[in-house]
Amino acid sequence: MSDSTTNRRVRTHVTCTVNGDEVDFLASDDTSLLDALRDELGLTGAKEGCGTGDCGACTVLVDGRINCSCLIFAPEAEGSDIVTVEGIAEGDQLHALQQTFLEGAALQCGICTPGFLVSAKALLDQNPDPTETEIRYALAGNLCRCTGYDKIVRSVQEAAVQLRGASR
Amino acid sequence: MPRAHLMSDHRRFTDGEAVIEVEGLTVGAVIAELERRYPGLGEILTNGSSAGVDGVIHAEPEYLVIGPDTDVYFVAPLAGG
Amino acid sequence: MTVTEDRPAYKWVGTRPIRHDGYDKVVGKARFAADLNLPGQLHGVFLRSPHGHARIVSIDTSAAEAMPGVKAVVTGDDFPELAAGDPERDTAINLMARGVVLYVGHALAAVAASTRAEALAAAAAIEVEYDLLPVILSLDESIADGAPLVNEDNRTAFSGSDEPSNLASVTPLERGDVDAAFEAADLVIEREFETSWVHQGYIEPHACVVDVGADGKADIWASSQGHFRVRSQTAAVLGWDTARIKVTPAEIGGGFGGKTTIYLEPVAARLSEKSGRPVKIVMTRDEVLRATGPAPGSKARIRIGATSDGELTAIEGWIGYVVGCVNNMAGFIGAMSVASYKFPNLKLEAVGVLTNTPASAAYRAPSAPQAAFAIESVIDEIAQTLGLDPIDVRLKNAVVEGDPTAMGMPHPRIGFVECLEAIRDSDHYGSPVPEGAARGIGTGFWFNIGEQSSATVNLNEDGTATVITGSPDIGGSRASMALMAAEELGIDVHRITPVVADTESVGFTDVTEGSRATFATGMAVVNACRELVDELKARAATIMGVDSEAVDWIDGAAVAEEHDPLPLDAITAKAKGTGGPLTVTASLNAGGAGPSFAVHCCDVAVDEETGQVTVLRYTTAQDAGTAIHPSYVEGQMQGGTVQGIGWALNEEYVYGEDGTMLNASFLDYRVPVASDLPMIETIIVEVPNPAHPYGVRGVGETGIVPPMSTIANAVNRATGLRISALPMSPPAILAALNER
Repeated sequence: MSDSTTNRRVRTHVTCTVNGDEVDFLASDDTSLLDALRDELGLTGAKEGCGTGDCGACTVLVDGRINCSCLIFAPEAEGSDIVTVEGIAEGDQLHALQQTFLEGAALQCGICTPGFLVSAKALLDQNPDPTETEIRYALAGNLCRCTGYDKIVRSVQEAAVQLRGASR
Repeated sequence: MPRAHLMSDHRRFTDGEAVIEVEGLTVGAVIAELERRYPGLGEILTNGSSAGVDGVIHAEPEYLVIGPDTDVYFVAPLAGG
Repeated sequence: MTVTEDRPAYKWVGTRPIRHDGYDKVVGKARFAADLNLPGQLHGVFLRSPHGHARIVSIDTSAAEAMPGVKAVVTGDDFPELAAGDPERDTAINLMARGVVLYVGHALAAVAASTRAEALAAAAAIEVEYDLLPVILSLDESIADGAPLVNEDNRTAFSGSDEPSNLASVTPLERGDVDAAFEAADLVIEREFETSWVHQGYIEPHACVVDVGADGKADIWASSQGHFRVRSQTAAVLGWDTARIKVTPAEIGGGFGGKTTIYLEPVAARLSEKSGRPVKIVMTRDEVLRATGPAPGSKARIRIGATSDGELTAIEGWIGYVVGCVNNMAGFIGAMSVASYKFPNLKLEAVGVLTNTPASAAYRAPSAPQAAFAIESVIDEIAQTLGLDPIDVRLKNAVVEGDPTAMGMPHPRIGFVECLEAIRDSDHYGSPVPEGAARGIGTGFWFNIGEQSSATVNLNEDGTATVITGSPDIGGSRASMALMAAEELGIDVHRITPVVADTESVGFTDVTEGSRATFATGMAVVNACRELVDELKARAATIMGVDSEAVDWIDGAAVAEEHDPLPLDAITAKAKGTGGPLTVTASLNAGGAGPSFAVHCCDVAVDEETGQVTVLRYTTAQDAGTAIHPSYVEGQMQGGTVQGIGWALNEEYVYGEDGTMLNASFLDYRVPVASDLPMIETIIVEVPNPAHPYGVRGVGETGIVPPMSTIANAVNRATGLRISALPMSPPAILAALNER
């Protein structure tokens, strides 16, 4: 949004938590959360594949729920708790999903991988023992054009097994 | 003598002949001789064709050395995804 | 499951290590082109034609140039006119129109501004006056007598004619006597087919950042399957020396053939040159669908004759490819992709036809899927009519080494029969067809290509190694390079770092296309390693004080009688004293790319209420030659298959009468999602390619060829309908069911 006389864009001060850190940034009203993460915070893990919420490459957790960050205006994130792919690992310890994606060759080009990891984490956080069908529907909002999904689904299944073992 | 195998599209230059015996030590020499005999054919073989020799397709075959009994298949250029 | 011929026992080749670039990709650190930002960077956007075909009477950029934040505006006038016949003339015209716009979405101006919003506002303020011309959207309209010209520039390739034409190419192929063969045949079936345009659908839109300095040199970061081609095409379009341009390959977010050409870089370069600032251009998905790709739509008429015991005696066919607004080779290649069966009598004509739609681009085994859909459907109908097993019919007629391709040249050693046998003997084909479902079989073939590659292998002081190539990695090829180097050098694959280097840091390398990276670039890596091993043996001989002929290289160590084995790291530690750094570069123009065949089997259920086709089970067998990293071979097979399933069932371009694409989003251009699919079972068949040191055939492309016919053949057995048009979307199936 522009001020027509000065053409200086009106920007809102936004404060939120990203990957456990309190952050703040300025964003105009029409800036997407995705652009704010990428351009203001330098977190380029989330990708823009479509900008219309159809591909899931920009998926992040907002207060524990998956969202396409391209569909959220950055000022809407005020006060929320956001997790991106950069926040999934704990220190140098990869999340089980990250490890099984690597071991299971669940990525080829890797552009969709951040979105899949976030969506799959949200699924396993809520449902530790999903069926193959539940996994496929939970990931149906994420497009992958390289893998045919087979190795992604298998890697999520394997991560679920490992996480259940770890929590026992 | 080496044999040049022409695609159907090339045969309009050769009165329909599909296989032509041509002297030459390289594919380029074969093309030059074909051009001498069938004016216009050389340009197509040079710019619009690859050559298959001994099961291998060569995109720029001009300097490829061939034997006295080699079959040279002129084929359309290939690309891929 | 793998079917393997006898081969040497490899230590690394055929194993499944974690890929070297994987860690960055699972933690969000991998740098794709759109992830890069430079200080002072501007944002570039295009103005695109709203008309399908029009003369540009005038472009007035003065208002746009005066808008806030705007630093540069370019139009076609800012680029040199390339001569007729220049190989990059069509590339240049497609990325910036000159005088005429040829499709809705054709770029005709571009703006660079401080923000993207400012650039968009300025682009909208550019005033263009158009003089509308007739819009041709279909193959039939384009080839009709007296049809208006799609593109006055176009001449039919190699026709000898200088008359403008709507035909891109006409390729006849003929052998034997089809008329006599049809006369003698016990069964002749002729059918017509049609397929829609489909997009490669890579998830990453095209993107680049270009910085042209005051010295006139350009730094380009690009998402591309071939950064050396980005360099040469950009240089050609700008009229520059290649030495002015350095291209650094970013991680590429999918290509599938669609990123073998350029759409952005020369425009960003000119904007950067004019503004003195770096310029970033990132396409929107809408732009990707409207102005890049797609694969050609097609129409085909195929007639096949057979004896009563299933010998295929003749094929006659016409295949038309709708190539879009400029000439390309789709028709040539389509004709030659008919190469799977012996067919003693054959008469084919393939044509490329222009329309006022985006310039089509390569898509995984370009032109082969359209032809295979038609031919494999007719063969299936022949098998059904004769009451024969669909695999038996194909086995009876399958080409083997020495049999001619459509273009006459004999096939080298190939594995089509082995793939057919693998499916015939598979758990899937041996299991009963589920209740309410039906089973289909289809096959596919792709040539694969070799081309030029370079590789440099550096041994480091501690015995680790760096393998540097110029092949952008679109599906795991870095891991394959490291595996082949590990096998040659005898060191752990994770002591090797595979790198894809910029155009100034590695020798010339052709585009990653034609399934060539692991084959051709892999050969360069192997050659470099072998030369390096010779040098290591010589250094070891110096250290051990023996003759270098007395030294063998065994499992990563120099071995000579009466000496302890000298491992690689002990030699690299003494590199300085024995002759200096250990580094070798190898370059080649690889011959002998091995064709790859695939055979697919699927079970589908058709919901007769909704027309929905559900794929219940899917198995693919493909000849990989040798699978260097089997997981990524499977990944290529599965990914290609699912793209083919999308082509078969959902994907299509829908155009309005004025040439506007009506479904330019991932919501409306629907690619398969996880919930549409079952697991894709894979059988890697290994019939080694004799022309490669490890027997590699390319595996990237063939997987997309069989699914359309495989599914259509299953739908036929489920419903009795012979579906001849793609996609087999629910409305199409419902309409066909209602007509039944």
